[in-house]
Formats: sequence, C-alpha cells, structure tokens
Amino acid sequence: MAHKILVVDDDNALREMVGIVLESEGFEVCFHDAGSGALDAFKAQEPDLVLLDVMLPGKDGIEVCSEIRATAGTPIIMLTAKTESEDVVRGLEAGADDYVVKPFDPTVLLARIRARLRPLSKADGETVQIGPLSLDIVGHEVRRGTEKLLLTPLEFNLLLTLAVKPKQVFTREMLLETVWGYHYKADTRLVNVHVQRLRSKIEEDPDNPKIVTTVRGIGYKAGQG
Amino acid sequence: MTIRAAIDWALGLFRRFLQVRAVFTTVVLSGIALLVVGGFLSYSIGNGLYQTRVSQILAESERGVVEVQNTFAASTVTDEIALQSLLNSVVPSLESQGSSDSRKVALLRTPGQVGSQILQSPISADLDTAVIPIDLKSQVRNATGKLTYQSIGLPQANGSIHPAVVVGSPIEIPLAGKYELYLVFDLNGEQQTLDFVQSVLFWGMLILLFMIGAVSYFVTNWLVKPVQVAAEVSEEIAEGALDRRLTERGEDVIAILARSFNRMADSLQKQITKLASVSKMQQRFVSDVSHELRTPLTTIKLAGDVIFASREKLEPAAKRSAELMHDQIERFEVLLNDLLEISRYDAGAVAADLEIQDMNGIVGSAIAGLEPLAQSRGSVIEIKIPSGPVDVEVDGRRIERLIRNLLANAIEHGESRPISVAVGISDSAVAVSVTDAGVGMSRAEVDRVFDRFWRADPARKRTTGGTGLGLAISLEDTQLHGGWLQVWAKPNEGASFRLTLPRRQGMIFTQSPLPLPPKQPKRKEVAGE
Repeated sequence: MAHKILVVDDDNALREMVGIVLESEGFEVCFHDAGSGALDAFKAQEPDLVLLDVMLPGKDGIEVCSEIRATAGTPIIMLTAKTESEDVVRGLEAGADDYVVKPFDPTVLLARIRARLRPLSKADGETVQIGPLSLDIVGHEVRRGTEKLLLTPLEFNLLLTLAVKPKQVFTREMLLETVWGYHYKADTRLVNVHVQRLRSKIEEDPDNPKIVTTVRGIGYKAGQG
Repeated sequence: MTIRAAIDWALGLFRRFLQVRAVFTTVVLSGIALLVVGGFLSYSIGNGLYQTRVSQILAESERGVVEVQNTFAASTVTDEIALQSLLNSVVPSLESQGSSDSRKVALLRTPGQVGSQILQSPISADLDTAVIPIDLKSQVRNATGKLTYQSIGLPQANGSIHPAVVVGSPIEIPLAGKYELYLVFDLNGEQQTLDFVQSVLFWGMLILLFMIGAVSYFVTNWLVKPVQVAAEVSEEIAEGALDRRLTERGEDVIAILARSFNRMADSLQKQITKLASVSKMQQRFVSDVSHELRTPLTTIKLAGDVIFASREKLEPAAKRSAELMHDQIERFEVLLNDLLEISRYDAGAVAADLEIQDMNGIVGSAIAGLEPLAQSRGSVIEIKIPSGPVDVEVDGRRIERLIRNLLANAIEHGESRPISVAVGISDSAVAVSVTDAGVGMSRAEVDRVFDRFWRADPARKRTTGGTGLGLAISLEDTQLHGGWLQVWAKPNEGASFRLTLPRRQGMIFTQSPLPLPPKQPKRKEVAGE
C-alpha cells in the first residue's frame, strides 16, 4: 500500500511541484495550504507522514507541529527557508522528526521521507528490557511496569537502538545514521533535541537521566556505568 | 637615569597639558617681574637708610669736631701731662657703646710734622686703626676744616664684618700740632633693618608668587576645564557613545563652544543613525530577498530536476536546455547561500559553533571534497601535515568551507600545476596554507582580493563557478574565530593564502606557525610552459 503524505505549504507552485515529485515516486499525496485547519486536514486524511512548511499564514508551522504531536506520533518533516539555529531548534522541540532546508534536491527530500517511513530496525526476540522499561518490538510499545508510555516512532527507534546494545556508547553521528538515515554529516542538534524529548517521556527525573545517559564528549548510551 | 626620566616626565606633562604650560608660564613671568620690583625696592630702601644715616652721622661728627676744637681752643693747659689727659678725655666724650650702633674714636697725629710726637694718640679700646683707609687719611690731611667720610667693612670679634662709615677731620691742637680725628660709626643697626626688610620682601614675594601660581591654576582650570570636558566627550562620541553632550551654561564663549559642539554632535548622530538604519534596512533587504527567493527556487529546482531526469526523451535542443538549466539552478543556489551568509555577517547574526577538532581531519575532508575537481584540472594536491592530530577549537563546518574555498581558488588559478597544502602548529596557534604556482596576482589585485564580487581578471574564463563572495566570507569566518587570513602573491609565480587560528578561543598569538610567502616557491617544471 502506498504511503500517504500530507503536504502543508502556502505556496501553490511549490505544493504542486512537491506533489508531482512525490506522486512520481509512488506516494499518495494530499495537500493543505495554511496553518489554520492543518490539524483538521491531518485528522481527516490520516497521513503516514507530514511535510510541514515553517512559515505559514494563520498559524506557523511550529504551532501546527505541536498540535499534531499532541494527537499522534506521525513523522513530521519541517520545510524551512531558514537555517538559523533558533527556527530549527524550535521546530525540533515542537516535535518535528527532521527538517529539510529550502531549496532542497528532490533526492534529498525523498531520502528523508523514506528514512522516516522505513520499518523500525530489527532486533532479536520480541521484547527488549532496558532499566525499568520493556520495549515490545512488534507492537511498538514501551511499558514501565504496566504503564504504557507514548513514544513517537522516531523516539521508539532511538530508544530501541540504544537499548539493543546497552554497553555501547553511540556517537551523535552514529545515531544520525542508524535512526535518521543520514549517511553524511548532518545537524547533531537533531540528536540532542530528540534525546531531551525522549528523556522527558521515559525518565523519572529528566534532569538526572538514568536510562539514556550522556557520555561526555562522545555521545549517549543506554543505562548507567 | 632617574633624573632623566623625571625630566622626560615633566617635559611630557608640559607638552601634554595646556594648563601646566599656562601656570608654568605665569609663574615664571610673575617671578621675573617680582624679582625686578623686589630688587628695586630693596635697593631704594637700602640706599635711603644709608643716606639718612650718613647725613645724621655727618651732623653728629660736625658737632663732635666743633666741640673737640672748642675744648682745645678754650683750654689753658701748658704742660704735657695736662695736655695728655685733655687729649685722653676727648675719646670717651665722643665714644658711644652699643652692639649695633657703636661709635669709636681715634685721634691720630698727622705724620710728617716738625718735631717728634710727644703725646700718645688716644684710640678707642677695641678699634683697630688699620680699618681706616689710607686714601681717607690723605684726603683728611688735604681737607681743611671739612669732614671727609668713607664707608668700610668693620671686622668684628666673632669674625663677621659690619658695614661702617669712617668720618675724618683734621684738628689743630695747641702745643701738639696737627691731629686727625677719626670717628668710626657702626652701621649694623641699619644693616639689620635692611636685612629684615629684605627678608620680609623675599618671603612676601614668595608667598605672592605662590598665590599667583594658585590663582593662575584656578583661573586656567576654570577656562581649560570646559575644553577638557569637551575633549573627553568628543572622545566618547568617537568611541560610539553618540548621545553624549556637553552641558550648556551661561552666555560666554565656553557656552557658545558647548552649544555649537552639541549641535555638531546632534547632526552627526542624526547622520550616523540615518546611515545605520539605511544600512540595516539594506541588510534586512538582502536577507529577506534571500529568504523569499528560496521558495520559488525550490519549485524551480524540483521542476528542473524532473525535466532533467527525463531529458533523454526530449529533443536535442530541449535536452541541452534542461542540462544548462540544471547547472545554473545549482549555481544560483550557491550564490543565494553565499549572499545569505554574508548578509548574516553584516547583520552581526553569526555565532561560531565551536568544538575541539583535528585540523588535519578538516583539511583532509576539504581536500577529499575537491579532489575530483583538481583531477579534472590536472592539478596534484601535495599535503604537508604534522604527524599527530592537530587539536584546535573551531567551527568545523565554517573552517572546512573556508579551506575548500581556498583550494577551489588555487585549482581555478593554479594553471594545472601542483598545489601545496600545509598545516602548522605552535603552542598558541594553528595555521593552514594553500599555495598554488599559477597566474598569481599583482600588488593592486592582492589589495582587492577580499572584496565582494571582485574578480582578479574579469576577462578570464571562469570554469569552477565561484560566486565572488567566497573570499569575503572566508575573511569573515576567520575574523569570527579571531584569526588571520593573509595572502601572498606574485604575477606568474603563484599565490599563497595562509589561515592562522588560535588553538583555543581567546588565545593570543603573535606569529603564525607557517611562513608566508612559503619557503620554497616551487616551479619545478618551469620548462615547457
């Protein structure tokens, strides 16, 4: 079944052009042209992935991103004209999984979309235990005891990647490659922001993390010591 | 040495401070004036005192002489003993004692008379007749019935010399012949008065001079202060505090100065603010344009790619067009990115993303990125790097971009000759140099090489498609790191760019670890070119 992608952008030409590119690659595409009503369009269309422009009339992309995140973990890729730190970080903190800077190559856009729609990395067995958490790989669920934690697919993938090899320290570059699918240098802020978001969901004290710990100067690992 | 230093310091003070100069000049000139007035006063008083005393002395002497003459004239003594006692009585009657105004008397027989001296010459006890000048004596002998006087120095028992006046007069003594009466008046009293007056004058004038100095200090301070304040304020304005002003008070020339100064500052501020806002608007405009162009450019790029991907199905002319469009869209994008980057620098909105990295690694990946271009142009890239890692705190993305840019320029202008890349390291700095042996640049060209959109030779065919902003951005990147980006070039010998960065941010370095120009200008394969 073809993946369905919702494109939210106020520029008619760009929206149509992105549609042409995506449809030619076999995706099913639906559109929305403003920030306001984007959430309704999202609910009505139930897409597998959202391409979201940052600068939108009515409501900006960052707000729309937060709204969608409040209801679903659907992958969101921001389309941004700015590479200024603030905008990118705000978008990521609002829950965007990744971002693409305009003007982008069609190949880059498709690679980013495919990376987000790829099935999660495989692990042996059906569940993985990390600290007090148990990860159900097939069901994409994380439980602390009986409590079910709501993670986005990206966050689940990030946690799973770390949890499968609990002794290994992952550099940000390694995580960018395995979780985000980047094969060349990319923005390490993606990792930093998403680790923070993940911690806020799984750690009892996000300021003093015990499950996903920082290895100063290198990267992250699962567990302590 | 220290005296020299002190003199230098004083001279420096003198040169630097108008006030010091003014006070110094006033004091010196007043000092000279006081010296003249003081000298005149002192002389007049001394002279006055002396003249008064002398006329008084002469009057006294006159009386004394007449008295003595009368005494002898009226005496009826006939024998030597009585005459001697009469002679002896003359001295005490004219003598007077006193520490400062003593009068001493000598009655001497004029030498050269017929007959020998029988009688003793009576002389005051503590008078040495040697103090009586010989020429006075001869004058007295020649004078008839007249007083003659002369001022002398009178040695004292304690070694000092008192000023004194000797008055002499010939006296005819019956039976005894010609005698000379000398009266020695001590003028020490007058001298003391004069000394006192002089010391009062001296101290008075010293105090006056000091007060003149103080007054001139305050007056010049009062005059110089506003000028000094104006100087300070203009200094502050020059340093950027455009809203600093002088206080305007009163109607005098200082107030006029303050007012016109403030007016000047106002109009300056207005101009600068206007310029700043124009320049800010311009920067915003460049930034906005760059942003606004991005969305349509994305569409064009996507469309171009779709057309480019299906170019094989097109007619030859349309196919070539698709290819050209594809390349030019890329060039347009690079230009837009550079424009946006420079506008960010202009807006001061750039912050370095600093991290400790290995410079060898950065240089390595920059070379790796340009290796295909170098190969297509037939340039060999030679690398000279230290064996160990070269840790340096930099924004790796910017520095790699910078080195890539230097390399691209070297390949562009390197005439297919070898290009050498070197990395050097010292305790405080890291340097990277990129040297080509190509067309090089003239002096005038070197001066403009970092200018925006400047091209060494506009007529030259451009093949690598630089934007003309590369070196301007490189220079900004270097300055962001607190480093140097320097260039050496010679026409037809090549060019060398040297980047020197502090090992850690804030480190101070005075020397680059690499030489510029590079030590051996390499033109190994000169022949045949």
